[in-house]
Amino acid sequence: MTAKMIEKKLIQQLSVILSLPAAKMKSDAPLHKLGVDSLSFVELLVFIEKEFKIKLMESGIAREDFKTIHSLAECINEIAG
Amino acid sequence: MKRYLTGIDWVVNALDYISRRKTGVGNTAQVVLELEGIIGEEKLGERLKIISRDYPVMFGYPSRAINLCPYWKVTSSRNTLRLNTDSLNLESDFDSIIRNLSQRLNHPFKDKREHILFNLIHQGKKSFLGMIFDHRLMEARGAEGFLDFVGGNGEFSLEESLYDGPSHLNRWLDKFRAGRKVNRAFLHLTEGRPRVLGLTQGNPKVGCRLINFNKERSSGIFQNAFNEAGYLMLMPYVLSKSIVILNQIFEDKRIPPQDYLIPVSIDTRPNDLVRKEVLFNHLSFFLFRITAQEAGSFKTVLSSVKKQIYAQIKIGLPQAIKEASFLMRIAPLFLVNILLKAMSKGVPASFSFAFIGEGAYASDNFMQIPVKNIFHIPRVPYPPGLGIFFNQYRGNINATFSYADGLLNEKEIEIVKLGINSLA
Repeated sequence: MTAKMIEKKLIQQLSVILSLPAAKMKSDAPLHKLGVDSLSFVELLVFIEKEFKIKLMESGIAREDFKTIHSLAECINEIAG
Repeated sequence: MKRYLTGIDWVVNALDYISRRKTGVGNTAQVVLELEGIIGEEKLGERLKIISRDYPVMFGYPSRAINLCPYWKVTSSRNTLRLNTDSLNLESDFDSIIRNLSQRLNHPFKDKREHILFNLIHQGKKSFLGMIFDHRLMEARGAEGFLDFVGGNGEFSLEESLYDGPSHLNRWLDKFRAGRKVNRAFLHLTEGRPRVLGLTQGNPKVGCRLINFNKERSSGIFQNAFNEAGYLMLMPYVLSKSIVILNQIFEDKRIPPQDYLIPVSIDTRPNDLVRKEVLFNHLSFFLFRITAQEAGSFKTVLSSVKKQIYAQIKIGLPQAIKEASFLMRIAPLFLVNILLKAMSKGVPASFSFAFIGEGAYASDNFMQIPVKNIFHIPRVPYPPGLGIFFNQYRGNINATFSYADGLLNEKEIEIVKLGINSLA
């Protein structure tokens, strides 16, 4: 799976979590600007674990990797190999 | 018109019943607007009259339908939303205004149809508008949305809360499966009686202290949360800090070291949805268990809180609680009270905690008067009679520490206040 495909899946899931249209999600916007808070963020992490089999809470990746959907997708792509 | 109550609505009705029995007053809270100007009493009174006339749902009460489902009974009513007014002299400090407003929470509503009461306090060129609300009619974010509606913001609507809603008498298998999930989780979480402060006898009154963090100090909290807990981890950060602060009080009072049990109400709806569903309850809960040994170390508490949030979201516990609570609607309130007591070994929590991440008050004014701040004064559920609540308005964080009379002395209250202040 490419980073672009991962990004698309993350956008789809965030749109469900935040009840916002996917078209409104900019992949380079910081997650908190999209309306993500502690709970919706954890919901997203649980989705990543189920979908990509990666436990990001325990993987020790840098905080910068979480900042946008784009950086998150790149990071998942790297870890998932 | 028949608006069926959801399972969570029914649990909130049970909490109201418990509070009424223990303290003589129901499960209420007050949301307060600090305004940079004077509201015309007549203009506000007129607005309240119009809302009272157009929305009799404000004066409904719980009843049971022929299909045994509880519902919010709305009949024609000549009631009007009440407005109390008061003036304070310019020398009154902020704490005495809060004391004045919080004391008003210790009085019950006048009858079973009253669920909202407005308190308007003028002080020089400023005013404070408090709205005491019954949690059975709305939750904290809904109350902010309702106030915005009263202030003239047309984005909010009460209409969707009013139509004949479904009775939810279907999908029983899903409800029983959710019930099984909740039972399993609760059996583990509520093992043994939680650590609580000694409860007082009689009808305790509730007091509170409010701590405002200005923009600069609020930014300090955001930064500390980022550095110590991680990106987007503000709620786990303030919850963990609150546990450590209150643990110090429990230790000083030499309360036997049982585990802490902390329910946290959550409303994950985006504000768009809150604007459409201002009335009734749409929340769910997390339940955290922290051992007395863990509670002394912030790092250990934070790690445990994060793991528990993750685990509870992973198994879908908040959704399961919402779904399973429908099964409780058949039981009358006294029976729900007994069931809740049995589940929690007689005491439902060590203390209450709530965090409103993004408030629902969308305007920057109320009837054209600029809003400086919005804060909440909850009448903390009793038992346990102790709680810390956070909210935000336009980047400013407010914390309210609520307590039942007799639980803490002045020195202990100051220690908690200092602890909360040290978050910035």
